[in-house]
Amino acid sequence: MGISAKGRMAAVITATGLGGIVLLAGCNMPAQASQGPRPPEKIYAKVCGYCHGKDIGPIIRGRALDTELVKYMVRHGKGGMPAFKPTEISPEELDNLAIWISESEADPEEHGQ
Amino acid sequence: MSGFSRREVMRVGAVGSAMVAGAAVASPLNGPRMLPEELDKDSFAAAVKELRAIVGDDWVFADPESTVSYRKTFIPDTKGNHIPSGAVAPASVEEVQAILKVANKYKLPMWPISTGKNMGYGCATPASSGQMVLDLKRMNRILDFDAELGTILVEPGVTYQDIHDYIEENDLPYWIDVPTVGPIVSMVGNTLERGVGYTPYGDHFFMQCGMEVCLADGTLLKTGMGSIDKGNTWQAFKWGYGPYLDGIFTQSNFGVVTKLGMWLMPKPPVYKPFVVRYPNMEDVAKATDTIRPFRMNNLIPNGVLIMGALYQLAMFEQRANLSDTDGPIPDAIIKAEAEKNGLGMWNVYFALYGTEETIAATEPIIRGAFEASGGEVLTDEEMNGNPWFEHHKTLMRGGMTLEEIGLVRWWGAEGGAVAFAPVAPAKGSETNGQTELAKRIMESYGFDYAPAYAVGGRELHHIIFLMFDHGSEDSSQRAEKCMEEMITEFGARGWAAYRSSVSTMDLVAQQYGEANREVNARLKDALDPNHIIAPGKQGIA
Ligand SMILES: Cc1cc2nc3c(=O)[nH]c(=O)nc-3n(C[C@H](O)[C@H](O)[C@H](O)COP(=O)(O)OP(=O)(O)OC[C@H]3O[C@@H](n4cnc5c(N)ncnc54)[C@H](O)[C@@H]3O)c2cc1C
Repeated sequence: MGISAKGRMAAVITATGLGGIVLLAGCNMPAQASQGPRPPEKIYAKVCGYCHGKDIGPIIRGRALDTELVKYMVRHGKGGMPAFKPTEISPEELDNLAIWISESEADPEEHGQ
Repeated sequence: MSGFSRREVMRVGAVGSAMVAGAAVASPLNGPRMLPEELDKDSFAAAVKELRAIVGDDWVFADPESTVSYRKTFIPDTKGNHIPSGAVAPASVEEVQAILKVANKYKLPMWPISTGKNMGYGCATPASSGQMVLDLKRMNRILDFDAELGTILVEPGVTYQDIHDYIEENDLPYWIDVPTVGPIVSMVGNTLERGVGYTPYGDHFFMQCGMEVCLADGTLLKTGMGSIDKGNTWQAFKWGYGPYLDGIFTQSNFGVVTKLGMWLMPKPPVYKPFVVRYPNMEDVAKATDTIRPFRMNNLIPNGVLIMGALYQLAMFEQRANLSDTDGPIPDAIIKAEAEKNGLGMWNVYFALYGTEETIAATEPIIRGAFEASGGEVLTDEEMNGNPWFEHHKTLMRGGMTLEEIGLVRWWGAEGGAVAFAPVAPAKGSETNGQTELAKRIMESYGFDYAPAYAVGGRELHHIIFLMFDHGSEDSSQRAEKCMEEMITEFGARGWAAYRSSVSTMDLVAQQYGEANREVNARLKDALDPNHIIAPGKQGIA
């Protein structure tokens, strides 16, 4: 789930053992659970896009796939694709994702079949 | 390299849509096989009602349609032994406590998962049918990140991708260590399984520090330094005082882990990945003997993978590209295909981490040893974007990839894979016997031997992914029998698994002996007298 840093964000300046001075953020900061649905392109990039268009899963962008099919695949999985539960991709996120995939243009950077 | 064909996607789509349309599935209460053995329908319905009152209607899944994602598994289950009765997804520790109270009241067994992507070992499915999945994915906060100590405290639903993003967004000088399937799996689930990764912090349980556990009666236990009044050492010192308890909650059903602390590796200024290619199957012995001293003196700081050619090829290729028969693929064909792709029959991946100076000092020593053993030592420069090298380069710095999932669809679109990972001392003399045994058994069932070995420290993991066709009843049945025979035959020679799929937990537990089982049983009785947490996990009732 998307984690937006919320609450106290203590920034400390410290020297790393290896010489550089870096800004370290994040001591004791609660990273809040997602607030509302994540955008479909983010879900695609952080989940689907590791396989689809990377020679592992079939290319699914730019194919005008039926949205019901996309939703079915996500919830049931298929072969090497695991199923994604409503706790991982919420029903609302899935609706948006299915539309986004269905309407998305092919990405020339993607490869495979 | 190949993926699914467009036609295949469309065909699957047609079937899928038909199934969606016809999904007016009967109530789970009509499917006795899904219910826990000792629970009648009315009690189940009453329990579900109470669970809904705790987490809300949206987060209880108690019919076949809404439970479908929890049932997807890569392993064979021809007898329907691993079908959950439903799932419940709490959002807080308090909800976990309340759920366990209901579970105790109705004797409804709960199978906890963090992200439920225990792929090759059963995904989210329970050790026996009828258990309800306790899905902790909604508990997904990073609770603490100490940027000076490089420690993190997370809830079960946090994925490695979440932590990776958090580190990037906050520009923190740390790396995470991931299993090969990092983006969609959890630090908690993986560490509790005593899973592994490929940076110097690859032994995850070794790098774990402090946990919070909800016991069956609702007691919250913070291990190690976690319960010290005003204490702030929970993620800094593992051992605490008195008996060290964290271990008994890993690969276990003694409690539900609700928080887990881990150490993170400081990002090194310089990182240099290597591959060593060996041309012949029997070279795995030489490779192991070359790696071991460097793991013992830490000149090679990360866990070293020795990847077999077929395991590597299966990531991007499907079987039909290499063979048009069902019989075992001859080594000569595998070798030729490997060569074509810049791979050896064995490919050893390790890396050096440090400064230009430290790497310049150690590289020649390590290089010399591998070359003397007949290996060909190569780096980024020579591998020049080779996809397998790039994959391991990503893993050895804790990067995000899912490419290895490709091997699950070796036999085609229906997928199918179950893992067997016996351990042995890291000695070359332990390798070829295992390879011959696995190959003989697997080929007798019509499967291909796609191996990897991993030298952690003094131990050698043999990672065998049994790839089969989940869409075929015959192939699934053969896979079940093959796995059973492998576990039995390996066990008879002293090679037992370090972890097991839900389908063979009891079989493996038997090999660890009666005294072990008895002690575990006594602990279980003491901590969870109604046996409501994950009965059957690791063979503990
Ligand atoms: C191609 C491929 C490559 C893989 N590579 C690796 C690898 O390199 N290293 C590796 O370790 N694994 C690997 N795996 C196996 C597996 O996918 C990972 O180990 C994964 O991290 C486990 O899934 P998870 O994190 O979702 O854990 P979960 O499925 O959530 O948990 C696993 C089990 O731990 C227990 N559990 C989980 N959470 C809790 C809790 N909070 N309290 C009590 N008990 C709990 C349960 O019994 C559960 O079934 C691989 C699998 C495949 C298919």
